[in-house]
Amino acid sequence: MNKEAAVYRRKKLLKYLLIHAVIITVVVVCVYPLLRILSISIRPGDRVISTDLSLIPSGADFAAYLRLLKDTMFLRWLWNSLIITVVTSFIGVSLASTAAYAFSRFKFPGKKSGMILLLSTQMIPAGMLILPLFLMIMKLGLMNTYLGMIIAYSVSSLPFSIWILKGYYDTIPRSLEEAALVDGTSQIGAFYRIILPLSTPALSIAFLFNFTTAWNEYLVARVVLFSAKQYTWTLGLFELQGQYITQWGMFAAGSMLVTVPVLMVFLYSSKWLLSGLTLGSVKG
Amino acid sequence: MDILYSIYEVLWFVLIVAAGIAAIEGYFYYHFKLHDRKWFMAVSAVFFPLAAVLLCRYVGLVQGAGSGELWAWFFITQVIINLFFKHIIKGRFSLPYMLLAPAFVGLALLLVYPFVFQIYLSFHDLKLTTIMAWKNTGHLPFVGIQQYINVFTTSPLSEVSFWALLLRTVWWTFINVFFHVTGGFALALLLNNNIRFKGIYRTLLVIPWAMPQVVAVLAMRGEFHSQYGFVNIMLGKLAVAFPALAAMGFGPVQWLSDHPLATCTLINIWLGIPFMMVVILGGLQSISSSYYDAADIDGASYFQKLRYITVPLIRPVLMPAVTLGTVWTFNNINVIYLVTGQSGGTERADILVSALYKAAFTYNRYSYSAAFAIVIFAILFFISVFYLKTFDAAKDER
Repeated sequence: MNKEAAVYRRKKLLKYLLIHAVIITVVVVCVYPLLRILSISIRPGDRVISTDLSLIPSGADFAAYLRLLKDTMFLRWLWNSLIITVVTSFIGVSLASTAAYAFSRFKFPGKKSGMILLLSTQMIPAGMLILPLFLMIMKLGLMNTYLGMIIAYSVSSLPFSIWILKGYYDTIPRSLEEAALVDGTSQIGAFYRIILPLSTPALSIAFLFNFTTAWNEYLVARVVLFSAKQYTWTLGLFELQGQYITQWGMFAAGSMLVTVPVLMVFLYSSKWLLSGLTLGSVKG
Repeated sequence: MDILYSIYEVLWFVLIVAAGIAAIEGYFYYHFKLHDRKWFMAVSAVFFPLAAVLLCRYVGLVQGAGSGELWAWFFITQVIINLFFKHIIKGRFSLPYMLLAPAFVGLALLLVYPFVFQIYLSFHDLKLTTIMAWKNTGHLPFVGIQQYINVFTTSPLSEVSFWALLLRTVWWTFINVFFHVTGGFALALLLNNNIRFKGIYRTLLVIPWAMPQVVAVLAMRGEFHSQYGFVNIMLGKLAVAFPALAAMGFGPVQWLSDHPLATCTLINIWLGIPFMMVVILGGLQSISSSYYDAADIDGASYFQKLRYITVPLIRPVLMPAVTLGTVWTFNNINVIYLVTGQSGGTERADILVSALYKAAFTYNRYSYSAAFAIVIFAILFFISVFYLKTFDAAKDER
């Protein structure tokens, strides 16, 4: 009896260790490239290109960061990205918030087909619309400007935002608005004073989704922006990396500066984003 | 100074958007609330077409000739809209439509119109030699289905053919989705055990997905460098440590120049597993443990439980995730372009969408790529319909 229990316990321990070993291996594969960027970014200038694998190189310093901030337009690129992204997200969320309210609270002809239309826009390959958007922006004379970029980005996350917000509005009980209506507010007043404040979490998630999509975008920026001064950070980093051998350290430094805040925001919001992604399907 | 100017530019733009929204809402308000006034038809039939024509001229969409024709079109459309609002809508549903209007006008202008414009382009001939003429006069030579014939008979890039690209895309999608799902599934099963540090593991495992894709891909591209990337350094060390392996031809590989597609695939698998893992883990955690308890009493083995409880029960979560994953992988320009897109890049790793991007913006063959895009869209459309059908069939089975 005792022996059997010991065997059982040993088996269990073995399984436990095995699981940890496998997961830790995968974790290393997932995290290692990020650590490598970090270690390359703090390598001293004369040893950026080396076959050294140690994570903290000897003689580590922050020279690459300083050079990046001083010799390149990295801050300017971040600023460009920030302006484009904030305005895009602001427009996207404001349009989505009212449209989602209509879908959530009203019955009207075309409601179902409107929702299906929103879903089907997701089937259009994103890469497919770059060419016509590029030509439109060119014809409007907005090449190499913030406005061109904002126009190109502003509706790309709209269908998804409408879906998340509608799902969230649906969970707010109607009785709240009805009470306000009895007290004499208009429907719009009820929306602004009750629904919007209550859905701050969903609004911020929609904002974050819009924000990350535009913040990480590369392909449209590549064709619309052509002077280094107007670059977003994605284009800037690509340029640095393109000149591979010489500026690898600066590329790594820039990557770290961009990645760390994005990672933090993502980890904070990932649960929400995911529930938004799967909400419709699980309910269906 | 620059910064002040950019703020000014953006504020100006936000103002224009606000004015646009106000105009749209005003237009709808007029049609919903004032449709029973006597002067309704007359005023709107004159005012709106005129405003529309002036706007088009101001923005520069129409130059010189064509205004008269345009005016006629706007006039007819406006009269139809008027009749519709006066006799069919009669002011009902005003609120939901006015709430929806800005979003749907935005979608129509920036999603539907480009799509229609793409179809228009695909029947005309816009390329580097005709683009200036088009920009100035708006005129393009009509070529019928010639562009579509070209898509199937000539190479979108310089040597690779459409059919090779199609085959490669199917292969690329299949391999990637297969590894994403099996890898994500295996990891989720491991994480679903009652183990310590679960939260930390989960957080660290999503890092490839959470990093900005541009950074992740470019960094990985660097790691596949033949001399300084850690992949080859590791391979070299392994070959030194185990001479038997080296004797079989194992060792550093010229990843970027000799095996670009394999490199892209490895990078994309690395990028895509976390998403599937998180989705599947969510599904696993929602399965009630009572099923497993019952199966334990019946003496079911681990694989029987997996086959008859886990897989059927996470299907509703898995199917949409796989559909999404397939569409994303099929459409993944980012990874391939960032790895091979620089000047002198190879085309041996290109799939349909990345070839489309390069054909349009590296080779400047605009109309050709418009036709190419429509063909790709048709392929994707059939795949999606097929997926949805199988999904529905699976639903009926349950």
